[in-house]
Amino acid sequence: MTCDSILKLIPLYYYGELTPDEEERVEEHTHGCPACTRELVQQRALAAALDRRQMAASPLLLEDCRSDLMAAIQGGAPRVESSVKGPWRLFLDAMAVSFSGLGKLRQPIGAVALVAVGFFAARLVNTASPPSTGGLLTSVTSPTDDVYSTVRSVQPDNAGGVAIALDETRRRVVKGNMNDGTIQRLLLAAAHEDNPAVRVESVDLLRSQSGSTEVRDALLNVVSQDANPGVRLKALEGLKPLAADSEVRKTLGRVLLSDDNVAVRMLVIDLLVAHRDDNMVGMMQGLVQKENNNSVRLKLEKALRDMNASPGRF
Amino acid sequence: MAQDAAGTVGARVSPQVDSLIRAAQAGDQDAFEQLVRTYDQSVLRLAINLLRSPEDARDVYQEAFLRVYRNLHAFRFDCSFHTWLYRIVTNICLDQLRKRKVRKEESPTIETSEGPIDRMDAFQEEAAHADPERSLWNRQLKQRIETALEDLTPRERMVFELRHYQGLRLRNIGDMLGTTEEAAKNCLFRATQKMRAVLGDFT
Repeated sequence: MTCDSILKLIPLYYYGELTPDEEERVEEHTHGCPACTRELVQQRALAAALDRRQMAASPLLLEDCRSDLMAAIQGGAPRVESSVKGPWRLFLDAMAVSFSGLGKLRQPIGAVALVAVGFFAARLVNTASPPSTGGLLTSVTSPTDDVYSTVRSVQPDNAGGVAIALDETRRRVVKGNMNDGTIQRLLLAAAHEDNPAVRVESVDLLRSQSGSTEVRDALLNVVSQDANPGVRLKALEGLKPLAADSEVRKTLGRVLLSDDNVAVRMLVIDLLVAHRDDNMVGMMQGLVQKENNNSVRLKLEKALRDMNASPGRF
Repeated sequence: MAQDAAGTVGARVSPQVDSLIRAAQAGDQDAFEQLVRTYDQSVLRLAINLLRSPEDARDVYQEAFLRVYRNLHAFRFDCSFHTWLYRIVTNICLDQLRKRKVRKEESPTIETSEGPIDRMDAFQEEAAHADPERSLWNRQLKQRIETALEDLTPRERMVFELRHYQGLRLRNIGDMLGTTEEAAKNCLFRATQKMRAVLGDFT
C-alpha cells in the first residue's frame, strides 16, 4: 500500500472504524514507514488536544432545561393524537356522548356531523370567503375543515327521528405582519385565551414587540397572573430587554416573592441581576434566608455577589 | 467510548427503555419524564459542545424533547430510540449551525482585555477560577481549535462531534444524519484534515 492510501486511513484507524484487514495493512505499513508513523502520532496528538475542549453541561442548566420542558408540556404543548379518528368514528363518538349525558360536547366534528344531520352540505360548498386583497391582512376560511360544532341538545321525537341543536363556530385564519395593529390586538386577546398552548404561542410572538407599552403591560400581566408556568416563562423572556424598567422590576420583585415555580423564580433572578438595584438587594437578601429550593438559593447568593452585595443581611 | 445513560450506543433499546416508551406513548407523563431523564444529559452535552452557548443548548433541548413529545406516537421501534432521538437533535443542531454560518454573529470566542477567550470559559466562571494557571499557550491552542472547528461545514462538524466526543460509530452517525457510513467516513476524514491544517504546529 502506498503512503497516500495509508494517510487516508489513519483517522479511521485512530477511531477504530476500519475492518480488521484494513487495520492490519495500516499497522504493517506504519511499522516500516517513519513518515506514516509520524502522521499517526500527530493524529493522536490532535485528538488529545481536542479532548480538552469537551464541556460538561452544568447540573443547574440541566435542571433548568428539565423544568422548562415540563412546564411547556404541562402548559399544553399540543400533542398529536396517536390515532387519528375517521369522520364516521368522530360522529359516532359525538352522538354517543350526546345521548348518554346530553353534556357539553366540543369536538371538531365539523363538516362530518353537519353532513350527517343532512342539511349542511350545500351550504358548506358556498361559504368559502374569498381572501381579502387589501392591506397587510389576509383572511382565509376553509369550509370543509374549519366548522366546529358544540351539540347543545338532542331531542328524540315520536316518529323515530331526532332534533339536534348545535352551536357552530367557524374558524377564520387571519394572516398578517407582526407590526400590524389588528394582528397585535388579536395576539393580546389570545394571551388571555383558555388554552395555555395558545397563550404560550401568543406571548412568544408578542415578545418581539415588547417595546410597545401595551405589549409590555400585557407581558407583566401574564407574568403576575397566568396560571401556567410555561406561559409565565415565555412572558419573562419577553421582558428581558426591559429588565431596567422600574415598573418591570417592581413586578419581577413581586413575582420572585410569590411565584411557586422554581424555573420562573430562577429566570426572574437572571433578569433582576442584570442591573444593580438597592431595593432588590434588600429583598433578595431577605429571600436567601427563606428560600427552600437549593438551586434558587444558590442562584440568589450568586446574584447578590454579582451585584457586589453580601448574601447575608446585617 | 461514550455511551448514553440508557447504556446503548445506537443499539436496540433496553427492555426498561422499551417499556418507558410504550407507557409514554400511552400518555403516561411520568414515563415520558423518565425517558427524557435517561437521554437528556447526552443531548444537552452534544448541543452545548456544538453550539458553545448555554442559551442555544437550552433552546435545542426544549425543541428536541417537545418534538419527541409530539411525535412519540410515530416511533415504531424499527430503529433504536437513541437513533430516532438523535435524528431529531442533530437536525435541530444542524439548522442552528447553518443559521450561524449565515449570520456569522455567534463567534465561539469573545474579546476581553486579556485577548479572545472561549465563550464557554466566560460563562463557566467557576471553571476559570479553578484553573488560574491556564497558560497563554493553552489559550492560544483553544483559540486555534475554535477556529479550526469553525472552518468545518455544519455536517463535518456534526460527524466529528458525534464520533470524537460522543463516541458513536460512523454507521450510526450515518443513520442519524440520513446518509451512508461511507459518506460519514469521508466527512470525518475531511474534518480531520482541515483541523490538522489549522492546528499542525500545536499538535
